[in-house]
Amino acid sequence: MTATETASSKLVGSSVRRIEDHRLLAGHGQYLDDISVPRMLEAAVLRSPFAHADITSIDASDALALPGVFDVITGRDIMAVANPQPIIWHPIPDQRKPQFHALAVDRVRWAGQAVAAVVAVNRYVAEDALALIDVEYEPLPVVASLDSALAEDASRIYEDWPDNISGSLTYDFGDTATAFAEADLVVSETFEHGRALGCPLETRGCIATWDTFAGTLDVWISTQSPNLARDLLSEVFDLPVHLIRVRTPDLGGGFGNKFDFYSEEVMASLLSRRTGRPVKLVEDRRDSFVATVHSREMRLEYEMAFKKDGTITGLRGTTYGVMGGALGTVGSGPSWASVLTCMGPYKIPNLNVTVKPVMTNRSPFGSFRAWGVQNGNIVHERLVELGARRLGLDPHEIRRKNFPAPEEFPHFTGVAFAYDSGRYADALDKTLAKVEELGWHQVKADARAAGRSVGIGCTFHVEPSAYGPSRILNLVGLQHSGFDEEVVRIDPMGKVTVFSGQINMGQGTHTIYAQLAADGLGVPIEDVKVVTGDTDSCPYTGYGTGGSRAAPLGGGAIIRATARLKQKVLRIAAQLMEASPEDLEIRSGIISVKGSPDQNVSMHDVGDAAYRRLNGRLPEDEVPTLEETDVYDPENMATSFGCSALLAEVDSETGVVTLLDFVVTDDCGTVINPMLVDGQLAGGFAQAFGGALYEELVYNEDGQLQTASFMDYLIPTASEIPPIRVVHQETPSPHIPGGIKGVGESGTIAGVSLVGSAIDDALSDIGVKVTRFPMTPERLLEEIRRAENEEVSA
Amino acid sequence: MSDRHTVSMTINGHRYEGVCEARLTLADFIRHHCGLTGTHLGCEHGVCGACTILLDGTSVRSCLMVAVQADGATITTVEGLAEGNGKLSPLQEAFRDNHGLQCGFCTSGILITTTELLEENPDPSEAEIRERLSGNLCRCTGYQFIVDSVLDAAARLRG
Amino acid sequence: MKPPAVKYQRAGGREEAIALLGEHGDDAKLLAGGQSLLPLMSFRLAQPGVLIDLNPAADLDHMGEDNGHVVIGAMTRQRTVETSRSIADNLPLLSEALRYVGHVTLRNRGTIGGSIAHADPAAEIPVVLLALDGELVVEGSSGTRVVSSQDFFIGPFTTVLEPTEILTKVRIPRSAAGTGAAILELARRNGDFAIVTAVAVIHLDQSGKCDMVRIALGGVESVPARLQDAESVLLHAELSDDAIQGAAEAASAAVDPVSDIHGSGSYRRDMTRVFVRRALTQAVDRAKGGAT
Repeated sequence: MTATETASSKLVGSSVRRIEDHRLLAGHGQYLDDISVPRMLEAAVLRSPFAHADITSIDASDALALPGVFDVITGRDIMAVANPQPIIWHPIPDQRKPQFHALAVDRVRWAGQAVAAVVAVNRYVAEDALALIDVEYEPLPVVASLDSALAEDASRIYEDWPDNISGSLTYDFGDTATAFAEADLVVSETFEHGRALGCPLETRGCIATWDTFAGTLDVWISTQSPNLARDLLSEVFDLPVHLIRVRTPDLGGGFGNKFDFYSEEVMASLLSRRTGRPVKLVEDRRDSFVATVHSREMRLEYEMAFKKDGTITGLRGTTYGVMGGALGTVGSGPSWASVLTCMGPYKIPNLNVTVKPVMTNRSPFGSFRAWGVQNGNIVHERLVELGARRLGLDPHEIRRKNFPAPEEFPHFTGVAFAYDSGRYADALDKTLAKVEELGWHQVKADARAAGRSVGIGCTFHVEPSAYGPSRILNLVGLQHSGFDEEVVRIDPMGKVTVFSGQINMGQGTHTIYAQLAADGLGVPIEDVKVVTGDTDSCPYTGYGTGGSRAAPLGGGAIIRATARLKQKVLRIAAQLMEASPEDLEIRSGIISVKGSPDQNVSMHDVGDAAYRRLNGRLPEDEVPTLEETDVYDPENMATSFGCSALLAEVDSETGVVTLLDFVVTDDCGTVINPMLVDGQLAGGFAQAFGGALYEELVYNEDGQLQTASFMDYLIPTASEIPPIRVVHQETPSPHIPGGIKGVGESGTIAGVSLVGSAIDDALSDIGVKVTRFPMTPERLLEEIRRAENEEVSA
Repeated sequence: MSDRHTVSMTINGHRYEGVCEARLTLADFIRHHCGLTGTHLGCEHGVCGACTILLDGTSVRSCLMVAVQADGATITTVEGLAEGNGKLSPLQEAFRDNHGLQCGFCTSGILITTTELLEENPDPSEAEIRERLSGNLCRCTGYQFIVDSVLDAAARLRG
Repeated sequence: MKPPAVKYQRAGGREEAIALLGEHGDDAKLLAGGQSLLPLMSFRLAQPGVLIDLNPAADLDHMGEDNGHVVIGAMTRQRTVETSRSIADNLPLLSEALRYVGHVTLRNRGTIGGSIAHADPAAEIPVVLLALDGELVVEGSSGTRVVSSQDFFIGPFTTVLEPTEILTKVRIPRSAAGTGAAILELARRNGDFAIVTAVAVIHLDQSGKCDMVRIALGGVESVPARLQDAESVLLHAELSDDAIQGAAEAASAAVDPVSDIHGSGSYRRDMTRVFVRRALTQAVDRAKGGAT
């Protein structure tokens, strides 16, 4: 099916240049802060300097008196008209789920929590006014870290709770106790990943226009999920959704951070309602470090049971998700996802795995590309490598031995997911072959001979994508859905417009949708336009642009819609040509009789017959217009996968790691556009390398964030990221139209354990074991010394 | 009382005049007073490079100057790079061909930075390109395809 | 992150700048390249009443030689110095060091004097100035004085400059023929401020013994530091690997390191040993090769 479909198509599978690029390169992109609405004011937010404190008074009179200031609101103003910020993911039954209002009411629970918002003639004056708001706080004991949250004598962030643990959920599969009792080797380890955030180069922002006469709320938001934002604004303000319009301009990156629903949307809306003016509220970079959701931070205590021959017989353990002072839009979803994916690509017959989200006085936790799956990846890949070391086996042999074979799919992992298809060993072999071809082993040997520590790391990843059957998502606790709706329209001129609820945030969604629609209808890509980003005119997406959904689900719906639309085109063309639809074909927008290309009509002719000059030309039983809607809700998710290798050097005197070169074999099913897949992988890996070596949101013992600038939160530059080499493998999804799987998160899932593996290999002579990320130079030097001492004492 | 100044500058060949507070950054003047929103603000503290422009032929961060300092200056922003009438410059074309951009937000600064690089050095090595790019953060691409774009552009410009 | 309200005054030259400083005193901040001051203002960590813009002061922007010294005007752009043929010939260490300062776009605007007067303990230019035994020409309403680089830096972001004084130029003695110099730096990323910058300048006599050595360190202590303890290990000694290691140990023992999120005090102490050794080794190689 898919093989022949893709083989016969022209655009799908080729590196079509992006249709987005002309205007972006010319500087004609329109990002949120580029938009000005007539009569618009600008807002700024006052944030708590304390991580945990009671607010005893707020006096905004001086701020209100400043010329140019229009209004100041506080938590009390919000609470009077708005519900708390909603949570959409509820995977853990009986979980305690603390919510918060857009502005803190009486108490703050993290440094940077919004306390008041000012609106003024411009941002300069709004920031001036922030300094004039007098807030008195009564500081409370701070729970600054996971350890302090779990301590026996820990102070509690919520006084009516017995401890700081928000909930717990265990998945039990097989007979783990027996598996561990009968194991030849058990490898136990605790892994830590620090706090990080997506840091799109464009910060978040919104422009709200609440027309109290029309009763409508019209909001521009830099969001990945306009439908979700509209529905949640409705929940917060008890305002019907048909009165709310959310528009999304060009997004300067999202990476999951812009999936979640934020307080600023609520503040700006209320400020607009109160002032009768449109209000723009853009977080600045400093705000972003406390106001955009944080992610990644988890402690992973796991152990894996092996037989002597490398068979994995069991995996058990706990993920501690380090939540903030309240739950954000996706609750503890990402920590939960780490548990769902901690077995990775391996058949492990016995599993007992638990997720425990724990509250701390830190910013709320939320979505960031890889959504906890990279933490799961750390568990299975690091444990397999540590097990191999102890068993004296090649880790690749352990991997191969425990992969499900291609014919064993769909493969149920034991926890929630059934992987749809895979050729795992092939991907591993391709990567190892590429490493051979590149001569890395010689590079490593030469470096060793010269006294340098060079290593080759390897990792295998599975990327659950195409989230996901709506009813299953509901069943596991999502209060939203997983289908996608797309509309494909041919206009009277015969040109094509695709309307989608998905968002284009840099990944090239418009291009791949245009490729799919052009191939599906037989028209040139230049004849296709893609429209996204307006809840008034674009269709509904059950979730939004996240979970690597846009290509498989939006794409799947476009494939199905264009197939039906093409039939209508052929029927009309048949009428025009007095031929039979079955005898016709479409190429480059020309419909002709197969074998007689001279006998033809154009797409323009068909459009004209469907919209304008119908009489005698549109078949009697056809309705006018050319438009198809498709709602696609997949029967299962799709699982992409791949294998990566990394060449890295460690300076064992300083702990500095230099990444030299890397290879990934990626299989995301049918590749719509290889160039864009390569781009997703390269960018995804760079974010993982950042988290593995550089990026960390560091808090001190008072719960103060120490890294609230780009001088301290270290995004890697072109000097830190090595070249990428991509090998493509295509194993189409058996159930998604076109065989498409998602690819947005693969690199980010794979890259962290990959760095750990390469460092371990570079320092294999002293037995270094990387368990903590980011592995900063200082931490690595400590680990080197620990390993050296262990060696000496052994 | 705020301190106001009349400033005038030539941007992409057009003359712009305005009255602004002393504290108004050059970036905000370009974006909001001149309507040239192709220059982006990614950090407002001089690290990300998205706001990079050419000031009298030299690359500078427009968030690290106040507008009044640029009185009388000649400036090129990203909007001034294309040949016009829908035709991109060879550097911009190379970015399109090599997938040198994803979201496009950092791209303006990167195009300006590499424009300056190629003027100074028409045949830069990959290492020289990476060194120069390290003053511009990109969160989407992982940089490789930006490097490829610049190498390709250099070859085109050399003919 | 918008700067606070401020008044703006142009200084067309050195004397006008001094006069304006006299008029506004503590309320004023000199605006040189602005690559550190503007971020501080955008974070509202600096809220001066008046900015005195030195950029129009052409008489502060110059490079030349005077009586065996290289003289650089305070407002000379870092990039101009970095790419100067004459600096490359006469003070190659300075050209090399400037490549560690931020990125090209920042150096296009950043000035030599601005970096020195800002006195960031992790900045490179002050360390090089110390290692090259440079001196600073300071002018104010009460006259001109020359301050040695050893005396200039008194604390983090603090110098001996009085509120009414400006740094007008730096004077750096040309190195004797056969001097070997090296700068090595540990930073988290390319272009970041240093966790450790180690600079070594060495001259060997005809018997191969060290007859001049200066070691300076940035990023480790709260001010850029000369490491005399380490220097004394090497002076008049044969520069064997053991001697260099001894100097590195002495350096490491002598420092009083600061601690921050990028490196603890003990890490900085360790890295002082590593980078002083590496810088010395490279400087000795260069001295032996006759190249600076």
